[in-house]
Amino acid sequence: MAEILKFENVSKHYSNGVHALEHVNFTVNEGEFISVIGPSGSGKSTILRSINKLISITDGHIYLDGVSVSQQKGKNLRELRRKVGMIFQNYNLVYSLSVIQNVLHGCLGYMNGVKGVCGLYSEEDKKKALALLEELGMESFANNRASDLSGGQKQRVGIARAIMQEPKLLLCDEPIASLDPSSAKTIMDLLRSMTSKRGIACIVNLHQLDVAVKYSTRIIGLSKGEIVFDGAPEALTDERIERIYGTSRENLMIGASAND
Amino acid sequence: MERTIGNSAAAQNVSKKEAKISVGCNQKNRFIPIFMTGTVLLTMISLIYLNIDWLKLASRVPQIGEVFCELAHFDFSNIDQIFSSILETVSIAVLSLLYSLVLGIVFGMLAARNIFRIKWLSVLTQSVFTFLRAVPTPVWVLLMLVCLGMGPEAGVAGLCVHTTAFFTKSFAQSFESIPDETIEALEATGTGRISIFTNAVLPAAFSQIVAWTGMRLETNFSECAVLGMVGAGGVGFVISRNLQSYEYGTAGLAIVFVFVIAYCIERLFVALKKKIAQ
Repeated sequence: MAEILKFENVSKHYSNGVHALEHVNFTVNEGEFISVIGPSGSGKSTILRSINKLISITDGHIYLDGVSVSQQKGKNLRELRRKVGMIFQNYNLVYSLSVIQNVLHGCLGYMNGVKGVCGLYSEEDKKKALALLEELGMESFANNRASDLSGGQKQRVGIARAIMQEPKLLLCDEPIASLDPSSAKTIMDLLRSMTSKRGIACIVNLHQLDVAVKYSTRIIGLSKGEIVFDGAPEALTDERIERIYGTSRENLMIGASAND
Repeated sequence: MERTIGNSAAAQNVSKKEAKISVGCNQKNRFIPIFMTGTVLLTMISLIYLNIDWLKLASRVPQIGEVFCELAHFDFSNIDQIFSSILETVSIAVLSLLYSLVLGIVFGMLAARNIFRIKWLSVLTQSVFTFLRAVPTPVWVLLMLVCLGMGPEAGVAGLCVHTTAFFTKSFAQSFESIPDETIEALEATGTGRISIFTNAVLPAAFSQIVAWTGMRLETNFSECAVLGMVGAGGVGFVISRNLQSYEYGTAGLAIVFVFVIAYCIERLFVALKKKIAQ
């Protein structure tokens, strides 16, 4: 299994004195589906955003596909970012545009000069976007405005946009936090199947412990910017949960499905 | 003193039932009284400085009615002249709007803080256009008249300066109102700054741009009517010339046309905005 991502002693200190990450070390291999769990403010978002340098780290090294991220700038950084797809809690689509236009945004990173600026997509790209929408069960909405979709549908467009850029790694920042339970299941199932089919490694920030246990091949537990758990879902005992959240399991709202 | 005690320990006062219960906020905005006093002071200074002769003003009030009465006696003999001058005014307004629209989008992109994220660039652009905006349009037109000579060209150029400055500020504001997360999402795909702007920010801000443009066409039209009076052609020239030669009938008709056209432009863009918002 090829190594895709490596965190080497990574720290992030914000200028207001918050230590978001403290000496974080881990590696991600091809095909892994990793959930990052931890209370709010434990550094989950910072981990994801430092991978594609939406946030710059203060110390350590992050290697993406063998290249150090923190030294990249301009064109090289953009080329590196193409390898990393991202999905957001609030979908972050351009709502005045059509569904397929939003999906095609995923290949803007590959388009140079006038073509990119004017949004002149090739017919091949359009076919690929339509095929992706079909795979996600959204083909009939291709020409609808993105603002007319439901939350679950918007997130499916978000997934299509991320897969469109043919990433090696997919980052999901609380992808189901704004969704109803049934849409949340659809989205998690889709994320799992689409990434494993394409051999894309996936890192998901989650608040739902039961979802993390059910879907992940590996779980990373964060507390105050430090990794306090890194292992298979089966190894996540009550003690370790307590260590991550700083309170015992009884005090946590964990979905009903955790008991099956 | 009593008041502050009442504020900090309102609960105690309820039980005592002696002092009145204060219902105001604990933190009062101290700026409002200062502002009010300042306004009153400035008004008094202005009144003293201008030394307005109120009696003379009152005695001339009936004249307003007379002039308006004469203006209402429309004179249709110069209607062709009025029509062609109105057409000229509309053309100047539309042309200056169109050029400024393109320039405004480009400079708005530079001035918006969330597109290139280069602080000095947006500060520089903003301050240059703040300066251009601070100088009133008639002054720009007069300057252009000196440079380009009499005629509509000077009107278009002069109006463009102010309109571009206005668009730069308002478009930059619209671009900045696009959520950072949307821009972040495209950044994450490795898209360049200009492509992010044209593919995500511009379409998202489109309805706002239309609204600003409609508003500005109205302003441009009425400003253009004023500009004719300084010699930049158009209906303003017709109005001022006829007023000066006491041809109230022609001037009155021209004024009514200006009003009708301005009203039509406003209605048109209200309808357009509704259609676009759908």
